[in-house]
Amino acid sequence: MTAVKVFALLACLSTGAMAQPEDNQAIFQNKILPVLTENCAACHSVSTSQNGLAVTSYDALLRGGKHGQAIVPGSSQTSLLIQYIRGEKTPQMPLGGSLPPDRLAALTSAIDQMAPIVAHTESRDEYLEWLLKAPKAPAIPAAANAGAVTNPIDAFVLAKLESRQMRPAPPADRRTLIRRAYFDLIGLPPTPEEVAAFVADHDPQAWPKLIDRLLADPRYGEHWARHWLDLARYAESDGFAIDGERPTAWRYRDYVIRAFNEDKPYDLFIKEQLAGDEVKDSRESEKDASERLVALGFLRMATWEADATSQQQLRQDFLNETTGTTASVFLGLTVGCAQCHNHKYDPIPQRDFYRFQSFFAATAVDELPAPFVAGEDPAGMKKKYRFYEDQVDLARQQLESRKETLKARFIESKHLQPDAPAVAEFMKELNVANAFFQERTDAIFKEDVWKKYLEAKDELKRVEELESRYRPVAYSVKDLVPPLVPEVPPTYILRGGDLSAKAEKVEPGVLECVLGKSEPAQIPFRGDSTGRRIALAEWIASPANPLTARVMVNRIWQYHFGEGLVRTPSDFGKNGAKPTHPELLDWLATQFVEHKWSIKAMHRLMLTSATYQQSTSHPDWKQYADLDPGNELLWRMNWGRLEAEVLRDSVLALSGRLNPERGGPGALLDAPADVAEGFEFFKWFPSDEAEQHRRTIYTFQRRSVVNPMLDVFDAANIAATCPQRNRTTVAPQALTLMNGDLTNREARYFAERVQKEAGPTPAAEIDRAFELVLSRAPSQKERGQALALYSKFAPSEALEHLGVVLLNTNEFLFVE
Amino acid sequence: MDFNASRRSFLYRNLTGVGGLALMELMGRDLRGAPNFTDNPLAPKPPHHPAKAKSCIFLTMLGGVSQVDTFDPKPALKKFDGTAMDWSKEKTTDQPALFAKPRLITASPFSFQKYGHCGTEVSELFPNLATCVDDLAVVRSIQADNGNHPAAVFQIDTGFVTPGSPSVGAWLTYGLGTENQNLPAFVALPDFRSIPFSGAQQWGSGFLPASYQGTVLRWKGEAIRNLRSPEGLSGEAQSSERELLRGLNQDYLRDHFTNPDLQARIDSYELAYRMQTEVPAVLDIEREPASVREMYGLQDPVTESFGKRCLMARKLVEHGVRYVQLYTPSQSWDAHIDIRKNHLKNAQETDKPVAALIKDLKQRGLLESTLLVWMGEFGRTPDTPADQKTKGRDHNPKAMSVWFAGGGIKGGTVVGATDDLGLKAVQDVYRVRDVHATILDVMGLNDMRLTYYYAGRNRRLTDTGGKRISQILA
Repeated sequence: MTAVKVFALLACLSTGAMAQPEDNQAIFQNKILPVLTENCAACHSVSTSQNGLAVTSYDALLRGGKHGQAIVPGSSQTSLLIQYIRGEKTPQMPLGGSLPPDRLAALTSAIDQMAPIVAHTESRDEYLEWLLKAPKAPAIPAAANAGAVTNPIDAFVLAKLESRQMRPAPPADRRTLIRRAYFDLIGLPPTPEEVAAFVADHDPQAWPKLIDRLLADPRYGEHWARHWLDLARYAESDGFAIDGERPTAWRYRDYVIRAFNEDKPYDLFIKEQLAGDEVKDSRESEKDASERLVALGFLRMATWEADATSQQQLRQDFLNETTGTTASVFLGLTVGCAQCHNHKYDPIPQRDFYRFQSFFAATAVDELPAPFVAGEDPAGMKKKYRFYEDQVDLARQQLESRKETLKARFIESKHLQPDAPAVAEFMKELNVANAFFQERTDAIFKEDVWKKYLEAKDELKRVEELESRYRPVAYSVKDLVPPLVPEVPPTYILRGGDLSAKAEKVEPGVLECVLGKSEPAQIPFRGDSTGRRIALAEWIASPANPLTARVMVNRIWQYHFGEGLVRTPSDFGKNGAKPTHPELLDWLATQFVEHKWSIKAMHRLMLTSATYQQSTSHPDWKQYADLDPGNELLWRMNWGRLEAEVLRDSVLALSGRLNPERGGPGALLDAPADVAEGFEFFKWFPSDEAEQHRRTIYTFQRRSVVNPMLDVFDAANIAATCPQRNRTTVAPQALTLMNGDLTNREARYFAERVQKEAGPTPAAEIDRAFELVLSRAPSQKERGQALALYSKFAPSEALEHLGVVLLNTNEFLFVE
Repeated sequence: MDFNASRRSFLYRNLTGVGGLALMELMGRDLRGAPNFTDNPLAPKPPHHPAKAKSCIFLTMLGGVSQVDTFDPKPALKKFDGTAMDWSKEKTTDQPALFAKPRLITASPFSFQKYGHCGTEVSELFPNLATCVDDLAVVRSIQADNGNHPAAVFQIDTGFVTPGSPSVGAWLTYGLGTENQNLPAFVALPDFRSIPFSGAQQWGSGFLPASYQGTVLRWKGEAIRNLRSPEGLSGEAQSSERELLRGLNQDYLRDHFTNPDLQARIDSYELAYRMQTEVPAVLDIEREPASVREMYGLQDPVTESFGKRCLMARKLVEHGVRYVQLYTPSQSWDAHIDIRKNHLKNAQETDKPVAALIKDLKQRGLLESTLLVWMGEFGRTPDTPADQKTKGRDHNPKAMSVWFAGGGIKGGTVVGATDDLGLKAVQDVYRVRDVHATILDVMGLNDMRLTYYYAGRNRRLTDTGGKRISQILA
């Protein structure tokens, strides 16, 4: 059998597969680099480039060394590299040895397979020239197969496929589509009824209608806000050793959720987060003032070393982080490199880093009074605040009485007079850290009175924390300007990023490479603020900025398609990945601006394309996977995998126990002792059960208490901005889902639910279970396999096992 | 990020699916030349050159150990004790406020003595380790690039002072795979009283595929989270669940064979099942003879934590685990306030277990195939702020003492030297990346050839290359 298939495959490759210049890079990576790495890199790497030759990249080979270009794509005969290896030129390479014949053959065939370069068309500067000019809507290409074009996205994708004699995958079936749309837009599975209705709906508008319905669903914002929170390095504590709580940081999280649900124009979204206090925009009214102070939380989300030894360094760290994150999130540029030296790859001089930083020179961290806005349920917040205020009073009284009991017992056990100095000393020490008492060996510290006292102390702390989360305070920033301070602190270039090595003084200014010239920014007068941040925000959030719209549409694309058109979403620079479809990216960017920066319009555009609706499998996959293993040409849909939060939320939704409550302070999830205990500066008080069943976005994000289940499924590392989640497959994930709490506990409720909704026959229960988890009925074989459980276990127990198994299946975790 | 890896495994599966290696040969591919081009990313791989050790245990002394109080005696400190230290020529900016104030030279509160045949000097902090000096190669001249804890800890673990790069263990398992497929290839043993700053990133795989990340084993309670089946689940129920899951996943794979992740995930379940039996058997410390338990100090609460983990490390390398990394509690050796108290406490917690580990490995014939490295993130200053009541020492990236032992190491050697006050390494100066290059070399890898293409260039543990500390190599 193999011989025939092999022949067929080779035939495909030799007829349909002429390499394009763009393929050379892949051929280099797959076929040439491994051989060169093994045999040549020891002397010809970037750092050890003997005779100027490095063999570590395709470009380096083209540049060549002292003797000239090392390879001539398409012609191994004339390639210096081959001539030296063959010994046609001396000295023969590798020096002192020779390459095994099979390796040499691999090299020559790979070079011959490469597309010849007619003229060196894609120089890196041309790339920058494209990148740093505002996108213009390109002409929409005409595809040969116009029938396959649903919207212009498809025209761009098809044009590229057709130029390689490739065709897109067939459309996915409707059950696959509805699951894809649900997980993608709201992060939860569809109910069996929703699936059935969609599958039966023959209205040609059924798909766009479904998308509209999901975009209008408030659960959309809860899911998509998570993507933004990854970028914003959102957390509710400082990090570092103390890891102090940020009690009202959750208001920023809810602001982001509302922004997505309300489809807040992206340009306004930017301005509010960078300069909410300075923004004057006709699209919002005075009542949004506190909303905009909350939005400034973006600038506060970095880690913060509360006990830093040097306050100056802490301040500088804040400025550096803010500069780097702002540029990477909104502009897709890695300016952080220029903190110490001129950027090695992109045209960002060190000077520009500090000019950019200067926009934040007056910015001070602050907690500002900000009444709750309508979207935050002000009445409910007030009620909760009052409630916990009372709880704090009660807890305080309780603690006082425990103290008195303790005092009495101390006096009694030591046979002291109540006014003895030792008693006063003891009471004084009670107000100091517990650590001291742990070293005491007195009998009283083993007694119940002591335990009760500690419990009362914890209880007070717990309710105080809760109370503080309902305060109408924004975790925000403000500019310190005269007369509060003598002057706005000047910004200096720091040589090597070193605070003590101040060089030239600089004024706020945007990146020279983008603006085309270096000039100070125009700072509007803003009264009690410097107006610097709004100047920056307006420059970023402008249609004329070449990066902003491209970077954001690329992010949206990435979350829908699994990979961006630029696969390094926060690095559009020379060192990042180049766009696979630059024209499409430009077209989308211009559409974004044309649609008034509406993110929902972008979702509609992308999801209604035929490209998005493709199947993940393709009749020609064998051939295509060899040509384009990374699916850069979008010849099929990429597979997805449920993100940590989506997985947890979906399990809870399937067991019927997901608590739909929206907004407000986060729930603290139960955590194993080794995760949640043993901290010197805080204690972890898990919320009650119902609270814990809220969507994961509403769980409390403490930097040092990372939920193990979310962690093992690659939740964002909240130390820094996270433009793309990892997607690992490791044994601890299997242990988590087979043996862990979440699935085993929820499977019991899942079984109850299934029995209630289906029943009474095992077959009906099995069908329902499959429909709930996988949106389809089981096959005959699967039903038989599941029925085997009923022969071994009682029905409810059998269902529980079936539940655990279904939640562990690949079909559940992966999205087609 | 894991795009390259999945593409490779994708191709491999593709091709094996339609005729396997024969086909690859036919198509003129050279797969053997490609690193990491195998079905199982953790399958053992041939080294670049013959390895002198097959496992490595890295003992991380977090907080930064003072060289002048441990392995680098400085009589001059005693001579100038209490006199002003001149920092005007030094450029140390991580804590400018600290070094701007007057500071006094501070003698070591610990006495030194020569030990063993080699006569290596060790302070009284390590009475047990001192009996092993003939197995140790002490390097007194290592420098770090950064004097702040988080950055410096990143550097010893990943070679870089910023997050995001693969850890040493990840690089080693990427380069060599592992011998026991039923156990993790790379185990991290942090102290749960206080784990390193950036948690799992310290033993993460960075931009390497996730298969190479370290697995944390705990020394109290379950070694791996959720390793045990849920309470009350019968063996029958468990095997029924497994069987049904296998069946469903296999059927699904048949219809969706173009997604390589599906097979990878099926494999991860099989590994998980094997770990459920293997890990508890390997880590059953309770079954160790009393003499061994005593040797590691398991009965004493002071030595229990590090002792248990040293014993775990021995058992893990015995069972073919490639890389084991132990950590003292975060910042434990950070003796700003009181060098005597701090270092005494930390030495008491680790001295006996570490000596036991060396001796135990030796008596089992494992020392010759195991490389041991003992190191903190930086050294400490020879002086104390003048206004401080007690004598402490601050961060000093310019000099630290590190020791190596075991496979490929010339025991009983001392390499390098610092200046008279122990402030700066001045002779045979090596950097952290040189330590990494040495580890790779002993393990059979060439640091220049161990590369991974990521974000535009070939990455290395040692970046542009390190130099081996050749004086300590046997």
